[in-house]
Amino acid sequence: MRVGRRVWGAIALLALIQIASCTNNPYPDSADSVKVRYAYLPGPPKTLDPAVSYNYADHTILANIYETLLEYHYLQRPYLLMPGLAEAVPVEQTLPDGRYSYRFHLRPGMRFESDPCFARDGAGTTDREILASDVAFQLMRIADPETISPVVATFSKIDGFAEFADRLVALRSSDPEFGKRRIDRQYADAEGVEGIVVHGPYELEVVLHEPYPQLLYWFAMPFTAPVPWEAVDYYDGEEGRPFFKEHPIATGPFRLTRYEKHNRIVLERNPNWYGTLHPDWRAPGTVYPSQGEPGDAEAGLLRPEYVGKPLPFLERIEFRMEKENIPAFNKFLQGYYDASTIIQESFDRAVQEGRLSPAMKARGMELEKSVDPDIYYIGFNMNDPVVGARAGDRGRKLRQAMSLAVDVVEFDRVFQNGRGVPAQSPIPPGIFGYDPDYVNPFRTPDPDRARALLAEAGYEGGIDPRTKRPLRLSFDTPDPSTRGRLTYQFFVDAWRRIGLDVELNATNYNRFQDKVRDGAYQIYMWGWIADYPDPENFLFLLWGPNASSTNPGAPNTSNFVDPRFDALFVTMKDMPNGPERLAKIREMRAILQKQRPWIELFHRENYVLYHGWLQNVKPAGISLPASKYVDVDPTLRTERREEWNRPIVWPAWALLGISVLVTIPGIVTFFRERQ
Amino acid sequence: MGGYVVSNAVVALLGVGAAFTVRAVRRSRFWSDAARELARRRPLALLAIAVYVGVGLADSVSWIDAAGGVQGVEAHTPRSLIDRAFPAGFQERSYSAPFAEVEFYGGAPLEHPGAHWFGTDILGRDVLHLTLKGARIALLIGGLTSLIVIPLALLFGMSAGYLGGRVDDAVFFVISTLASIPNLLLLIALILALGRGPVQVCVAMGVTSWVGFARIVRGETFKLRELDYVQAARALGASEARIVLRHILPNVMHLVVITFVLLFSGTVLSEAILSFLGIGIDGSWGQMIDQARDELARDPIIAWNLAAASVALFLLILAVNRVGDAVRDILDPRTLVEDL
Amino acid sequence: MIGYALRRLLYGFLVVQGVLGLLFVLFFLYAEPMDMARRAVGEKAPPAVLKLWIQEHGYDRPWTDQLRDHYVRMLSFDFGRSDADEVPIARRLREGVGPSLSFTVPTFALGLVLGVALSLFVAYFRETYIDRTGVVIAVLAMSVSILLYIIGSQYLIGKILNWFPISGFDPDPRVLPRFVAMPILIGVVAGIGGDLRFYRTVFVEETSRDYVRTARAKGCGDGRVMAFHVLRNALIPILTRVVTAIPFLFTGSLLIESFFGIPGLGAVTVEAIQGNDFSTLRVMVFIGALAFILFQIVTDFTYTLVDPRVRLE
Repeated sequence: MRVGRRVWGAIALLALIQIASCTNNPYPDSADSVKVRYAYLPGPPKTLDPAVSYNYADHTILANIYETLLEYHYLQRPYLLMPGLAEAVPVEQTLPDGRYSYRFHLRPGMRFESDPCFARDGAGTTDREILASDVAFQLMRIADPETISPVVATFSKIDGFAEFADRLVALRSSDPEFGKRRIDRQYADAEGVEGIVVHGPYELEVVLHEPYPQLLYWFAMPFTAPVPWEAVDYYDGEEGRPFFKEHPIATGPFRLTRYEKHNRIVLERNPNWYGTLHPDWRAPGTVYPSQGEPGDAEAGLLRPEYVGKPLPFLERIEFRMEKENIPAFNKFLQGYYDASTIIQESFDRAVQEGRLSPAMKARGMELEKSVDPDIYYIGFNMNDPVVGARAGDRGRKLRQAMSLAVDVVEFDRVFQNGRGVPAQSPIPPGIFGYDPDYVNPFRTPDPDRARALLAEAGYEGGIDPRTKRPLRLSFDTPDPSTRGRLTYQFFVDAWRRIGLDVELNATNYNRFQDKVRDGAYQIYMWGWIADYPDPENFLFLLWGPNASSTNPGAPNTSNFVDPRFDALFVTMKDMPNGPERLAKIREMRAILQKQRPWIELFHRENYVLYHGWLQNVKPAGISLPASKYVDVDPTLRTERREEWNRPIVWPAWALLGISVLVTIPGIVTFFRERQ
Repeated sequence: MGGYVVSNAVVALLGVGAAFTVRAVRRSRFWSDAARELARRRPLALLAIAVYVGVGLADSVSWIDAAGGVQGVEAHTPRSLIDRAFPAGFQERSYSAPFAEVEFYGGAPLEHPGAHWFGTDILGRDVLHLTLKGARIALLIGGLTSLIVIPLALLFGMSAGYLGGRVDDAVFFVISTLASIPNLLLLIALILALGRGPVQVCVAMGVTSWVGFARIVRGETFKLRELDYVQAARALGASEARIVLRHILPNVMHLVVITFVLLFSGTVLSEAILSFLGIGIDGSWGQMIDQARDELARDPIIAWNLAAASVALFLLILAVNRVGDAVRDILDPRTLVEDL
Repeated sequence: MIGYALRRLLYGFLVVQGVLGLLFVLFFLYAEPMDMARRAVGEKAPPAVLKLWIQEHGYDRPWTDQLRDHYVRMLSFDFGRSDADEVPIARRLREGVGPSLSFTVPTFALGLVLGVALSLFVAYFRETYIDRTGVVIAVLAMSVSILLYIIGSQYLIGKILNWFPISGFDPDPRVLPRFVAMPILIGVVAGIGGDLRFYRTVFVEETSRDYVRTARAKGCGDGRVMAFHVLRNALIPILTRVVTAIPFLFTGSLLIESFFGIPGLGAVTVEAIQGNDFSTLRVMVFIGALAFILFQIVTDFTYTLVDPRVRLE
């Protein structure tokens, strides 16, 4: 029985520990005095290699670590490029041989963060100055097939880009030892890229063989950030060292100090950031802006205590992983995250009639709305014999009819709480070429007209004359999750109402890609988020030469080919914004309206809720280093957290009491009976 | 498109099979006594199971026609007896509460006010309809899996136990191998390999579950082999197959019944877990629960979807468990006089 | 004894071979090299790059080569790198063991103690309303899917009562208890139904035996009889059940880790499933099987310690 007593004792102790630790605060230290921002990510980053990372979640971390030559102004809309690490935004120059050149001048005296990779030669130094050759190195990394960069196609516009890659591959395959040499020496031996010229330590020239004014936007993305060859060479995963893709070298206001990718990622201030090292420069990317767009001042984004002050204000940023969005949102409501998107389930609690609900306002929260520069659409495979161009007028009328059957306002209401701007054309608000007054006649639901068009197309009542049964079509989607299938089912139901029998074929992403590659799909649903704020980045999704059937991996998955549209695109893409460009875009839009390769659905609206202790929040659809502009009031946060999270303990005592009460009579009766 | 024809045929076959089973039970005193005892002990649970089976069968019989005023695509899709119990075009636009007259969000009037006893889901589908259809899936899971498990286990278990020697070694090896792999992991790996249709999921579950029962059958067969009259039959030169079929098989039937019942609840619950991981069967209660999980986070909460599927699942499992306990008590050799 | 041990180990080894063979067959049926390449490299990568990845990982070699490689590497515990992110799988295993054990061990211990104690209690009062209610509650508890326990508890305890964080994990000992409290609670409650019924049956059987009646007649206190004699004699079935459960401590509960955001071995497995990462999944199944086989052998040996009547042949 002594054993028994010890066991009971242990249980009691465990229970006591649990009760004592009874709090739902997930953070071990309250960090009252330190300005920490708590954020979450939906999953671990795929990679932190700036040459490879191409999704929004990874960029949330990367944009704060890697500062680029150019950057976007934090407050101005439409988005405005301004100098970052470079001294000025270059102007395109035409060279005598007809090529196009951009010259960047880096600021002298900037340094990478301190890191052991710089100390290898025993030089004693742990950091190094940022040079133009570091940008050139990064661009060459993009060309290098072993990096597997997803943006090679774009940068291939640089003169000699593809040839450099070929030389590199040839050298590596002809001599196995070559591939083991230091990476910068490999690039040097392959003679570099002809169109990337380093003139001295701070001057970089990039030469293109075709005009591409949108190139400058790429210099505001981490793809073109300076990367030291020492880091790529040193962090190769050998001898217990991490890979470079897990160990970035900061050029920005923050650096990575803790990387437990399934759990917790921590960024802290980078003392080597040029804004911290040289506050006297007052470079545009290192001080809080003094101007914004109309409405910013009223929104509290131009407070005098911030305007003109040196950045950053935060000392630390902590990211936690939240695979499920409901617990994440609930933790936000409890005060354990500073900002959050609003999950659909709690939308009505947070937002009423487009404004923050009184309950949320009472907690000091604020709401920021913005339209993302993206487009979500249902596409037709124009190569298909039934729905595509090969069916001629019949196919066109079928597509028009299906377009008329889809009520996107309803979809928005059911699945997105009305958060989405119904799309009339591929170009979203905020991008040049968007026309707020344009109403696409085929995007206003009209089931009667749809049925009439079907009849004209030879599908009276939706019946296929060959089979005498409803026309059977295939809707191929890349998301087999329960939620995904529910959203697709909405469209299937919509088409069912005009008599069409559309079968949902939801597979995983990889099988879907296979189908696209093999041309084995009819109707699909897709989306595109802008890389940069220019209409070329949207209309190229429908450009003939980009058809994926002729060009595997190319983005025109509709395989839409229209000679007039293609010709217009070629002229439009290099034009500066102005009435001429607008006219061309309008003509292209008219073609899309008639031919209906896409059923445009919506442009997503982003609603961000944030707590009252977070300042200077302005959501951006383009990836930008937002965290350096943001500020936090930690004392207010701790106060609110305690106020909102008092544990309710009485049910536990009640339960215990009840179970004791219930068993006592039984025990008493038993003993009495035995007497 | 002919799937529903197969389904109808299966129901017919089941009917025939049930008739045969009833006849066999009536003929044997042992089994009819057991059945009577079971009915005496667990009338409620048996009734519940009968209701589920009835609903499941009703949902399995379907055909195509335009009766009931259906139009368009619906007129060309096979509809079951359960489907026909609901009016045509019963779908609303989105959520509505049980017995409500208006939509849950926005308050617009419903097309069929007050007619949705359990409300509607996010696409406006009637929850009662969905729940009833889930019964068929649950029965399919439990039934089909057992149908795979039991013959497999009997075949391997009896041959191993009876023939012994090399056969036994081989079978025991296979059993050990399969038993060593954690159930859920093997299940997932199999489903990912075979595909996600209902038949594949049942096959995967069958493959992972037959091992336990096979081991028991093997043990029993060992014991039965040593019995006097079996030895005698062998000495007399009766063929092995005959001996196994006439003397061994009937005496492991009680184990079959017990196993069938226990397996049933296990597989249905496993399928719910698979649905959570995204690899379950379409239309199952597990999938409904998975879909409805998010709805609890809403404010005000939407609970009818989750409640309907959970209660349906819970009651079936509870009934099966109760019956299973009673069956085991009744058929347990220690409390029973067997007639060999 | 030694002979038996050797034979058992050899047999176990053979079974491991069988498991590996089965895994390889499944692997071939299921894993599509193009799929894996896309998952690992990224969806926007051109086909040439994907082919390069497939070559580097050896998924284009003839199946005989891959089979031999599979056996050699698994048996030498050379687990290689994950298909999804190139991180060495062994490192992920090491990182995942801690979090998994941090809640599975307390669940196991607490579940065992509570299960045995409650069953003893209920068996002691058999045939009274305590016993009957206990059994009914156990059956009810067993019939509820673990999913509903998880959903319900997250909603109730995490959101309404504010007792513990809804999900998450931090090995920092100052906060670790709060993160594992709910997983432990659910693990215990979900398992207690089945455990209670099983142990109760065993105990009731024991208490109806002659020696118990003799002990009582001789005047030993009932409590003492229950705890001491009955428990000891019921040990074999209990032990079997307990030891069979131990390997599952490591594989963790897939669902619990997934929903509570605990980065343990179960979470590794779920990610491998969702990410089509067969190289990791292969390792997880292998480790699970290995642990199971080892503990089977351990069980057989502990039988002799517990019950001298059992002789190993």
